[in-house]
Amino acid sequence: MYQYTAFDRHFVRARAAQFRDQLQRNLAGELSDDEFRPLRLQNGWYIQRHAPMLRIAVPYGELSSRQLRTLARVAREHDHRDAGKPSERGGFGHFTTRQNLQFNWIPLVEAADVMELLAEADLHGIQTSGNCIRNITTDALAGIAPDEEVDPRPYAEILRQWSTLHPEFAFLPRKFKIAIHGAREDRAATGWHDIGLQLHRNAAGEVGFRVWAGGGMGRTPVIAALFADFVPWQQILLYIEAIVRIYNQHGRRDNLYKSRIKILVKAEGQACIDAVNAEFATLLSDDAQAGAHIIPQAEFDRVAAHFSAPPVLAPGFAVSDDTDAPPAYRRWLERNVHAHKISGYRAVTLSLKRAGQSPGDVTAAQMDGAAALADHFSRGELRVTHDQNLLLPWVHEAELRALWQAAKAGGFATPNIGLLTDMITCPGGDVCALANARSLPIAAALNERFDDLDRLYDIGDIDLHISGCINSCGHHHSGHIGVLGVDKDGSEWYQVTVGGSDGSTLGGPALPGKVIGPSFAADEVPDVIEAVIELYQRERQRGERFVDTAHRLGPQAFRRVADAARRSTATATAE
Amino acid sequence: MTPWTQPHPAAMDFIPVHDPRWQLLAGEDGPQPHPTPRPHALLTLEQWHAVREHWPSELPTGVLLPNTADVAALAADLPRLALVVLQFPKWTDGRAYSQARLLRARHRFDGELRASGDVLVDMVPLLQRTGFSSAQLRADQKIDSARRALRFFDGHYQGDAVQPQPLFHRQAA
Repeated sequence: MYQYTAFDRHFVRARAAQFRDQLQRNLAGELSDDEFRPLRLQNGWYIQRHAPMLRIAVPYGELSSRQLRTLARVAREHDHRDAGKPSERGGFGHFTTRQNLQFNWIPLVEAADVMELLAEADLHGIQTSGNCIRNITTDALAGIAPDEEVDPRPYAEILRQWSTLHPEFAFLPRKFKIAIHGAREDRAATGWHDIGLQLHRNAAGEVGFRVWAGGGMGRTPVIAALFADFVPWQQILLYIEAIVRIYNQHGRRDNLYKSRIKILVKAEGQACIDAVNAEFATLLSDDAQAGAHIIPQAEFDRVAAHFSAPPVLAPGFAVSDDTDAPPAYRRWLERNVHAHKISGYRAVTLSLKRAGQSPGDVTAAQMDGAAALADHFSRGELRVTHDQNLLLPWVHEAELRALWQAAKAGGFATPNIGLLTDMITCPGGDVCALANARSLPIAAALNERFDDLDRLYDIGDIDLHISGCINSCGHHHSGHIGVLGVDKDGSEWYQVTVGGSDGSTLGGPALPGKVIGPSFAADEVPDVIEAVIELYQRERQRGERFVDTAHRLGPQAFRRVADAARRSTATATAE
Repeated sequence: MTPWTQPHPAAMDFIPVHDPRWQLLAGEDGPQPHPTPRPHALLTLEQWHAVREHWPSELPTGVLLPNTADVAALAADLPRLALVVLQFPKWTDGRAYSQARLLRARHRFDGELRASGDVLVDMVPLLQRTGFSSAQLRADQKIDSARRALRFFDGHYQGDAVQPQPLFHRQAA
């Protein structure tokens, strides 16, 4: 993975010093809370329901064991609270759908100390919030997946550097998210991003980017439009500059809900695409600095050298040889172990979806445990996946059984990857100040309802996504089943959608799910989800996954069974 | 704190909110529709359009642009202008950064480029890097804090108005 240079290290420390100065001016009354807010947001500091939240960047999801240990130390020494339920005492982090990590209980007065501690391990919160270009995400199987045409990691790193403290684009109309991948299957949900990038090769074998823009979730779900089929990789910084400049100048700033680039792209259509392509052409032909931002081969080679592949190994594993393999191990092999493009290796997901703990949450001890697994089995490297798990990218096939034993002991071996309990969930109303409703109790209730592994395996592949509000951090729009928390008269209600897709092969092209009737009460949600699942199990045709059946039957069929599961909302629906 | 070691630190002038030098030509009903030529006049875009045909070229002249203006429309007039003032109606409205970048890098404007309006201490590094050469800080802002804000970083990844070469060219050299 990428190793910080002296410049990178110096830069992150300079940022920490700048933040300390801003924090001190705020505490001294020179910088008002309102004016400190956008500055702290661009360093990852939110003020939440009970305490500040710190979001730490994990660039394109790559994390070293050393960094994870530092995060464990932050959890242990700074993320704490002396009152409340155990889940409110702190000491844990939460991995997000944007491959970042959040802490919820760090006092703001300790903020500058924490930033300096993080900087020691090449970590920071730069641009993890605010109306700027956010941390760039990618396929968790980058450099691993057999269907990958071009490894996106060197490009993601070059984009990280270019987008970091870009002076022109620090105060955009709204947040701006970029995702990049280079495989046949889109595992980075690029269609749902402000900019989605797919690396591919043209007929001449040259590498370039297919560029989409204008995707996004929130109140108005929109799938990104194709802007360019092939931008030579050397020119990608300029193409992105053209998109972001058009957005900076023309994106709406009068209405928070209409300020994302998706609204501009939707309103202007082809005119927006033409404007971007004209801006790109002018950049190349007229601008004094443009040529300097064409990426030289030497720079690509320098960065790519950080992502060198491990040596090929002789294949060391065949499950058929393993005659005494216990069924639990076989299940784990089936769900949590993934094919690798390099002979002799597998990628292994450490499930963060287990009973008794919220999806994506990790305690300080678990962080240390995962770091030890990475050191022992995966060259000290981990990935954060966009569905809130950890992944070990470089596991020798011969060591799978030993890893399974160790992962089981550490609580990371739930064999549920891709199944219903491997759900995406935002932190919701328990801690988030934006949320309309809590999402964690819904996740816990569903975990309890679907705790039988045989049943989960029978249901098969399914993406269940839960968001506590329309900001869609839990990606409910793209869930095969989506649950959205809404607020009506001060109480919590939940809207359910079916048939959404993140754009991976499993779900077909990216698509928002369709609502199946008025909102449900919290205690109805598990019954409704169960009724929806049972309809699928009754109606599925040979080989159909849930999402296929959902698309074939349409939302009405699901609405009928969901209505039958209503209790407290039964009268409301009858009206 | 990091020392200021940028090879050619671009000067950033801090101008008082009430500039004694450059004056808007306004009457009781707002900008005069047909102002009389005088040196150091700061004209609105509308005024400039009204007078540009006959405005004496030897007079130092400035134009105040709204942040919604397309700077390309002013491109041909730039050699006649000593000052362009860009506006931040709210400090979090970043449109003028793009205008500044375009004026410098695309249209080669080499006069004074000034930020006015809701200009805060913490914007100054961005102003400098996008090509502004002066700033009228909001009245309550401290110039000392603004000068300090310019000293935290001694280099950035991207090329910009201070250092046109991105890091990847500088470290290759």
